[in-house]
Amino acid sequence: MSSFLTELSRNSHAVLIAIGQHIGLSAVAILLGILVAVPVGVLLTYHTRAAKIVLGIFSVVNTIPSIVLLGFAMIFLGIGYIPATIVLFVYSLLPIMRGTYTGIKEVNPNALKAAKGMGMNRPQMLRLVQFPLAMPAIITGIRLSTIYIISWATLAAFIGGGGLGDLIWMGLQSYNFHLVLCGAVPVTILSLLVSFLLNHLIKRASRHKGKEVAT
Amino acid sequence: MVHFVNVTMAYGSHIVIDKLNLHVEEGQLVVLIGPSGCGKTTTLQLINRLIKPTEGDILVNRQNIKNVDPVELRRKVGYVIQEIGLFPHMTIKQNIEIVPRLLGWDEERKAARTEELIQLVNLDRKYLKRYPSELSGGQQQRIGLLRALAVEPPIILMDEPFGALDPITRESLQNEIVALQKRLKKTIVFVTHDMDEAIKIADRIVLMKDGKIVQAAASKELLSNPANEFVEQFIGRHRLYSGKADTVADVMSDEIVCAEKTLSLIEAVALMRHKKVPGLFVIDDTKKLQGKVSIEQIRKSELSEQDALETIGIEQICPAFENQSAREVFDRMEAEKIDALPVVDEANTVIGVVTRSSIVRSLAEVVWGNQS
Repeated sequence: MSSFLTELSRNSHAVLIAIGQHIGLSAVAILLGILVAVPVGVLLTYHTRAAKIVLGIFSVVNTIPSIVLLGFAMIFLGIGYIPATIVLFVYSLLPIMRGTYTGIKEVNPNALKAAKGMGMNRPQMLRLVQFPLAMPAIITGIRLSTIYIISWATLAAFIGGGGLGDLIWMGLQSYNFHLVLCGAVPVTILSLLVSFLLNHLIKRASRHKGKEVAT
Repeated sequence: MVHFVNVTMAYGSHIVIDKLNLHVEEGQLVVLIGPSGCGKTTTLQLINRLIKPTEGDILVNRQNIKNVDPVELRRKVGYVIQEIGLFPHMTIKQNIEIVPRLLGWDEERKAARTEELIQLVNLDRKYLKRYPSELSGGQQQRIGLLRALAVEPPIILMDEPFGALDPITRESLQNEIVALQKRLKKTIVFVTHDMDEAIKIADRIVLMKDGKIVQAAASKELLSNPANEFVEQFIGRHRLYSGKADTVADVMSDEIVCAEKTLSLIEAVALMRHKKVPGLFVIDDTKKLQGKVSIEQIRKSELSEQDALETIGIEQICPAFENQSAREVFDRMEAEKIDALPVVDEANTVIGVVTRSSIVRSLAEVVWGNQS
């Protein structure tokens, strides 16, 4: 334990930089993921058949081991920060898309019936009713993506993406177990922290949704 | 206020509404009723264009709704549904203010209107800050109603709004809707499958079957003059007015206490005691009326208990005839202070009795319908 802490303090500067890179890499991937997956998820609710196809394709993509996809990315896009980000972004899409799609699909049809009958147009229904009610499912998707991305971002080190994976990788190569921990422990803490934060958000968003309105 | 002109609505070859013509007058509460699949809900949803007719025209407020943006139209027509459909993520206040919000009212105006509305239904202001799940079903539907009233639409559509509520809550909401209707003079089109509800609240009942109107009339008219067998059946015979208290036959009861003239006095007394009556109508063995005897007569007589009734001197009476006017008989009973009169047919055979209570019962039926 004490030797781990010694190692950590010796490398503190490198660890901090790695944490910063790691967060940056994950955050960019996940933000891009949200920007793309949420609107696509919404669009898919208008077309069930397209939804099945798109979600199906992404399910297949997400079963490819990330290391393989990173390998492909290296072949076609070269090495470095950008290919790593792209791969992580692709991985982040499915959970968010699926969360958005099911969240909106599962909005109580009675609320929609009332909304339409009262004279809401499509965008208003989406903004005032469907989106708020789907929010817990959407955030659940984002949480799932984020946790995946944070752990997979460690692999980005293989193609020069930087981050905490660098420390792990270096530690493994030099048989320096404590250096591995210097990368692994922050990644774990980061995952738990994000998971906790988003869980809190989900709870807040579903405050009134849990208790269904009597019908 | 709402005109249907030759409106047909079909899904492919399946005709849901068949050349419907209907006029809902301003300020009326019209109930659409019929068996499921008769097209009543479709008719309702044609009015706010949730459904588009295949053929024909619908005029709302003299405007053909073909030429109106459906979203605009719906904001001007209140809509209340059975499932209530309050938005669970919005407070009661936000729920009530949905349509004002869509129409871009400012906060002040919205708040003032909401205050006005909440007082309409006797709900405490504190509920405004709550969420729908914190309210009972009945309270939720009251809010559903307020939401529909928010921008004072002249027309309100209600699709089985009380169908999912318990009977007691339903009854109180029915009373409220009748009271509100009287006060606010809205034109209301109300769909239900509950005949009692229809009779209770409707100015006019439109009975539908297979996409057509079978009969449209005020409830009284519908009950006393059902257009055909189907109407009768749907209303339920028990609700139909026998309609009249015109002749003696309408107001008589068949619970007459008669004794054959050969009955012994002791048996006659026992019969009177058993039936708790002060006298008996005496008949012969072919049920022809002979007259009456009273308990007083028997008590005062000096005959033996075993003597027959006929030996006591039966008092002759003038009976009522079954096709005589009820009014006449009633007047006579009043004038002569008679409590009960036997009713006979042309052959002088006893068929029933008219008493004060049998008359009251028949009159009650005419006024309130047969509730038993």
